[in-house]
Amino acid sequence: MSSKMLLRGTPLTLTLWNPKIQHKLLQLRRLSSKTNCSSLQPPNVSHLAKTAHISLTPTEVEEFGPKIQQVIGWFGQLQGVDLQSIEPSIRADTENNLRDNTPEIFDHRDAIIASVPSYEEPYIKVPKVLNVD
Amino acid sequence: MLSTLQTPRSSLSRFTLPSTITTLASNSQSTLTTTQSPTTSPPQSQILSIRHSLLTRNLSAVDLARSYLTRLRLTEPHLRSFLHIPDDQTIISQANDLDRRIAAGKDVGPLAGVLVAVKDNICTADMPSTGGSRILQNYRPPFDATAVKKLKELGGIVVGKTNMDEFGMGSTTEASAFQVTANPWDVSRVPGGSSGGSAAAVSARQCVVSLGSDTGGSVRQPASFCGVVGLKPTYGRVSRFGLMAYASSLDAIGCFGSSVADTGILLHAIAGHDRFDATSSKQEVPNFLSHFDSASSLESKPLKGLRVGLIRETIEDGVDAGVVSAIRAAASHFEELGCSVNEVSLPSFSLGLPAYYVLALSESSSNLSRYDGIRYGNQVHADELDSLYGDSRAKGLGSEVKMRILMGTYALSAGYYDAYYKRAQQVRTIIRNSFKEALDQYDILISPAAPSVAYKIGEKKNDPLAMYAGDIMTVNVNLAGLPALVLPCGFVDSEPAGLPVGLQMIGAAFDEGELLRVGHIFEQTLENCRFVPPLVADSVE
Repeated sequence: MSSKMLLRGTPLTLTLWNPKIQHKLLQLRRLSSKTNCSSLQPPNVSHLAKTAHISLTPTEVEEFGPKIQQVIGWFGQLQGVDLQSIEPSIRADTENNLRDNTPEIFDHRDAIIASVPSYEEPYIKVPKVLNVD
Repeated sequence: MLSTLQTPRSSLSRFTLPSTITTLASNSQSTLTTTQSPTTSPPQSQILSIRHSLLTRNLSAVDLARSYLTRLRLTEPHLRSFLHIPDDQTIISQANDLDRRIAAGKDVGPLAGVLVAVKDNICTADMPSTGGSRILQNYRPPFDATAVKKLKELGGIVVGKTNMDEFGMGSTTEASAFQVTANPWDVSRVPGGSSGGSAAAVSARQCVVSLGSDTGGSVRQPASFCGVVGLKPTYGRVSRFGLMAYASSLDAIGCFGSSVADTGILLHAIAGHDRFDATSSKQEVPNFLSHFDSASSLESKPLKGLRVGLIRETIEDGVDAGVVSAIRAAASHFEELGCSVNEVSLPSFSLGLPAYYVLALSESSSNLSRYDGIRYGNQVHADELDSLYGDSRAKGLGSEVKMRILMGTYALSAGYYDAYYKRAQQVRTIIRNSFKEALDQYDILISPAAPSVAYKIGEKKNDPLAMYAGDIMTVNVNLAGLPALVLPCGFVDSEPAGLPVGLQMIGAAFDEGELLRVGHIFEQTLENCRFVPPLVADSVE
């Protein structure tokens, strides 16, 4: 198990490439290891998985951890940039085109219902909700 | 809710073919002939040539469809471009209907008889739409995406759904839950992604044109890897209704073709405002081909006065020498056509990559929360609701998708929004402004579409940062919402037949017409370059 872990996402994969891309990657990796966001907690994969409603196996938690850490660390470059007085853009320029707020009937309701995995007319059936505090 | 009582657009009258274009069509050869063509002849519009052959009764739509289907079935075991192909009969009967319409002298749309492949994250009511994911295996949407609806209204025939990286998350199709598509130029190599299936299908002439989607380069990079034309339109040019959302502020439906003209015709067919997409633009859709000149009528310097800017950051360290060399050759070609070409630097260019990934991963973590096994998709049985969500998603989603959702969840967590998402949006503003400034000085910006040619299957699979690094050429265009056209401009030496290199041309917002006009001239005057993979060279013109 541990030797498999070593091979994944390690610089070994770099050796398959041309030196220029390797150089670029090393730059990226160096950036990822020096982050200015000391106030931000590193990603807790199990906690994130709970928030995102994905049941991860322990193997996945172990495997994803370093990769996620590496990418989040790489995001850290954004902290180092002077962005004062720059307005954030939600998206590219687009017009605000809303349609009229009038309801319409969708004629293929049957097709929607047909896709529901667990349906008991007129309910979409789900198991009980467990309140865990 | 949706209404089916929408009046069809009077799209046929809107799409009048100018006489120069019909001349182009009648000069081009039939797609069925296997006559010896000079290897240096530029690509002709297959759509126009098909139209001409159908209307002059030289060819029936049924024979045309059969010819493509034969080639598709022969090549598919080697390529695996498609996740779903309907029965031949479904396609033949649509072709038959078209033949009857033509025989009765009725009008037919500009895509009459044209076989179109559709990326599997674009909803088609009569075919499964999986997004490349197990969680949507066998899912049949109750509606067609607007882009699909439009192309069908104009006579296009959907020949199948193409393979892709799951929910658009990847650059090779290796993250598809189902299969890996091969590059028609070398089947041991990737076709690019995430629209790898759509690019390979056009490259191998399994279909005439295809639809893909581009959030960070997913049409442009595979176009480059597969030696076909790929267009990402301006954000808002084509309705996203029916496109499974990855990152809503970045996604765009794009077009693939074997020629610039075909790509433009397909774009025209699907572009336009859609009331079901609040981000779709009301800007009029011009007839993109009306300014096209036939190659024989071009003056000696047809692009005289055009100012071309070569983005300096895209030809520096980290880019394959072969790619740089092909792009520089393309720059020389532009100069021969009368352009002035200068290097231009875009400030903060390299910041675009982490900014893009923060935005894309954050938005996708929200967009993919709908895949919970409740209203559609594959459900894993559980005794209580939280486990049903968790287990359905665990089983149905692939590793790359899971990781991206987790990273997006992190970036959007309480207290982290300012550090990541907001800063990424600010970088987005910087990048938009730097493109605006550059496009004031230059009419078109050019760059490679990828830092390398197609690499081997398996080469980058386990290294996320390595994969992401390959997007450097393309993501900034999505951040700025601009249109970009990629067309094949050269080759890098590699067994068996070389590997194509794509040139990316970036234009101002809603300036697809100009990109297509310039791209068409570039393509028609490029000598000694034929972009047909050896796999299918014998059966196409």
